[in-house]
This record gives sequence, C-alpha cells and structure tokens, in this order.
Amino acid sequence: MSTNTPKRILIGKVGLDGHDRGAKFLVRALRNAGYEVIYTGIRRTPEQIVRTAIDEDVDVIGLSLLSGAHNELFARVAQLIEEEQAEDIIMFAGGTIPDKDIPHLKSLGFRQVFTPGASLSEILSALKEELGGGE
Amino acid sequence: MDAIVDNIRRGDRRSLARAMSLVDGVSDTSQALKDHLRRSTGKVPWWGFTGPPGVGKSTLIDALVDMLRRRGKRVGVVAIDPTSPLSDGALLGDRVRMMRHAEDGDVFIRSLATHHREGGLSDATIHCARLLELADYDPVLIETVGVGQNEVDVAPLADVCTVILAPGFGDDIQLTKAGLLEIADCVVVNKCDLPGSNRLLKEIHRELGGLPTAALAYEKDTKVDRAGDAAESTTDAVEIFGIEAKSGKNVEELLDTLFEMDAAARTPDERRRRNERRVLSEIRRGATVEYRRALEGELSGDGMAELLDTLQRGECSVESAVAQLVTKAADRVRQPEVSENDREPK
Ligand SMILES: Nc1nc2c(ncn2[C@@H]2O[C@H](COP(=O)(O)OP(=O)(O)OP(=O)(O)O)[C@@H](O)[C@H]2O)c(=O)[nH]1
Ligand SMILES: [Mg+2]
Repeated sequence: MSTNTPKRILIGKVGLDGHDRGAKFLVRALRNAGYEVIYTGIRRTPEQIVRTAIDEDVDVIGLSLLSGAHNELFARVAQLIEEEQAEDIIMFAGGTIPDKDIPHLKSLGFRQVFTPGASLSEILSALKEELGGGE
Repeated sequence: MDAIVDNIRRGDRRSLARAMSLVDGVSDTSQALKDHLRRSTGKVPWWGFTGPPGVGKSTLIDALVDMLRRRGKRVGVVAIDPTSPLSDGALLGDRVRMMRHAEDGDVFIRSLATHHREGGLSDATIHCARLLELADYDPVLIETVGVGQNEVDVAPLADVCTVILAPGFGDDIQLTKAGLLEIADCVVVNKCDLPGSNRLLKEIHRELGGLPTAALAYEKDTKVDRAGDAAESTTDAVEIFGIEAKSGKNVEELLDTLFEMDAAARTPDERRRRNERRVLSEIRRGATVEYRRALEGELSGDGMAELLDTLQRGECSVESAVAQLVTKAADRVRQPEVSENDREPK
C-alpha cells in the first residue's frame, strides 16, 4: 500500500506495574531505527490496546508486562484481535515471563516473546524479519 | 475506492484507519480517495490547536474531548508529532494523554508524523481530517507539532484556531516573532496553577489589545481595566483565556467560546470561503513541495557545475544564475521524473 512510509508500532504496557523506563527506552530505540512508534503509556487495558492499534493502523503491537498476570492479559489481547479480525497485526510480548509459559503465548499468536535478558538488537532483527526486510 | 468510502460511512473503524494510512502514503488509490474526500466534505468546522512544545495541547484536547462527549458530540482528533530528522522514525506520544477515550466508539484519535514537513502539520493532515468528517465526526480537532518554530500552517485549515501558551514556555516577545499570536482566534494560557501565568496573560493582552474576556481575570486579584478598553473592542477580537487543562478549570468556558466560533463558521457563505482557503493551502503546499523537489534536483544536477563555471568566469551574474535556476526548476516541475521513491527532498 503506502510503501514509502515507515512501519508503525504500538508500544504499551498492560497490567498494574508502574514502571515505564524500559518501555520508553524501547520507544526511542525504535524511533531511531526508523519506525513510527505509538506509545500508549502504562497500565493499559487490553481493550484500550487493541482499539488503539486498530485506529492507528499499526503493523505491530509490542506489549510488555512485569506483574505476572501475562497469561490472562495477553490472552485477552489476542482474543480481541481475533474478534476484530485484525490477525494481520503482528504481536510481540515481553516481560518477566517464565519459559514454561512461552509456548502458550506463542500459540495465542504472539510471534516473539522476549524475556528481560533480550537485547535491543535481538528485538530489532526480529522485527525486521517479521516485517519482511524491515524497509 | 467506493468500497472504502462505503465502509467508512457505515462506521467501520478499520476501514477508516486504513484509509488514513492510504492518504499518508503515495499511491493511485490514495489519489482517487483524496479527490473524493475533497468533493464530499467541507461542512464540518475544524478546530486547530497549536503552541510551543509541552504547553499542554494534548492535555487540553483530552479535556475538551471529555466535555464534547458530555454534550453528545462525536469527536475526531488528528495529532501530529515530528519525524526524526536522522532516522525517518517518529515518536507519536500525544495520545498518551488521551487514553481514557480509547474505548469510546464516538471518539477517533489518529497520530501522524510530519514526514519532514515544516509548518507544524503533515501533508496527510487535511486528508485525515476530511476522512473523520466523512465518518461523521464533528467537530474535528487538530493538534500541531510542538517544536517551537513556525507552526502556523494550521491557520488556513482550522476554522477555529487556538494558540496555547504556558508560563515559562516561549513567552515574551518570542511569541510575536514566531507569528503565533497573529493566527489565533483564541489565545489560551494553560497551567494557570503555576506562577507567571498572570504576567503572561497581561503580556498577551497588551500585545493583542482589544477587550479582555472575563476569563482573563483568572486570579481574583488581577486588575483588568475593562471600561477603558471597551471602546476599542471589535466583534472579531481575539478571545483570551487562562485555564488549567489538567484539572479542567475554565475549560468549559473556553469550550463555550469555541462553539460560538464554530457556529459562526457554519453559515453557507463562511463554509464556501473557508473551504476555498483550505483548498488554496492544499495547492500551496503541493506546489511548494513539487517546486522545492525540482529545485533540489537542479541544485544537485549536472547543470550546476557548468553554471558555477560561467559564474566564475564572470560571464553571468548571480542574479541571472538565480533566474536560470528558477526557470530550469519550473521546467522540471512540468516534466516530473518517474521516480516516486525519493518523496523527501534531502
Ligand atoms: N501544572 C500544570 N501542568 C499541566 C497542565 N496541563 C498540562 N500539564 C502538564 O504539561 C505537560 C505537557 O503536557 P502535554 O499535554 O503533553 O503538552 P503538549 O503541548 O501536548 O506537548 P507536545 O505535544 O509534546 O508539544 C504534562 O506533564 C502535563 O501533565 C496544567 O493545567 N497545569
Ligand atoms: Mg501533545
């Protein structure tokens, strides 16, 4: 469609924890890598995230969460995306997610799951790959 | 294209959102859509909000959206943030302040990046505002980029133009220099809970003259000599407000005034005049972009070395070199190159 405009990414945090340093770092890094980043801030509901992603017509949703309620909250996001028939939006998850939960999140449609050790370059190259060359 | 328009009219958010992406890029479909939008909209006044970075534009829009919803309005918002000059990426953060409306079906907020355009708007702004009108949002609110330079491009688009300032942000004479006050229908001093707001209000009042609104006497002890000014007042005097966007203080009063201006912009004669102004600004923008690209092309082209040589040998003057360049650039505009990829002049 509009091939010469940058890809758009929503970055947001769901759940109750209130730190946004990591998210803000990521947001700036993504901007510097050439993406248009829609930042929603912290403590968002899955409903807010999905509605925003649709209105902003993003290519990717990147969600993070530290408080451990990932299974319910991420599942709810995935469910809403399905209801909206917006499965073409690529979903990434990040946060303190135990290894045993990763397969479950992937089965919900999260293409990549990043745990706290993940480096920025890992995230960027995963994005590039998912978006087909990054443009 | 017709299917897109039908879906948008039916209220399909995804179609609206995708159409916005379409007009934010370059394609044949987007051209057809833009033409259609131009013909089928123009009834709804747009409200522009501009001002230096961090003065509270988004916070104010958030408060206004809340109040507009209470008055039963469906509200559309276009918020523009700057594209990074280094990476082509952008941080679109205005809607962080508006997230409480994210689940409201009668509010549609869209963030746009400038794609390196100056003037406080992006090329797609006018098309996105028209799309919101097509989808039955009324009024449409536009937040310009706040980078503190010449954000005045919103003026010809906005039927109601609010300039927002705050104590400590580019006050004093800088305002007049930037030409910001000149475009205002309404000047708002936000953050009146902070010191310095009264001084700023007075300064603006002095700068603009005319009759102060009651809201100017924001702090009870402010002495405003209304009687003395009344004689000079005109009907189209600029309204001046002191508000606190965060707590909502005085925002309802501001909204009443915005509605009065909105009503004045709805008469058929005004609509015709203002739609003409919108189209003119669209043409001016398009022409400027095309011409600048052509000029850049000439400047980096092969002909330039030759021209410099002639100059050096004293066979032509700088003035005639300029004239030649202008003519060549104009020729280039007449015969545009095929490569649509370098949309942005470097
Ligand atoms: N003290 C005080 N702070 C306010 C008020 N309104 C907004 N702010 C704060 O001002 C800061 C900037 O607000 P924004 O609404 O993001 O300002 P903006 O003009 O949209 O900023 P940019 O889009 O970045 O140019 C935030 O921290 C707000 O909380 C107010 O009435 N009083
Ligand atoms: Mg803002």
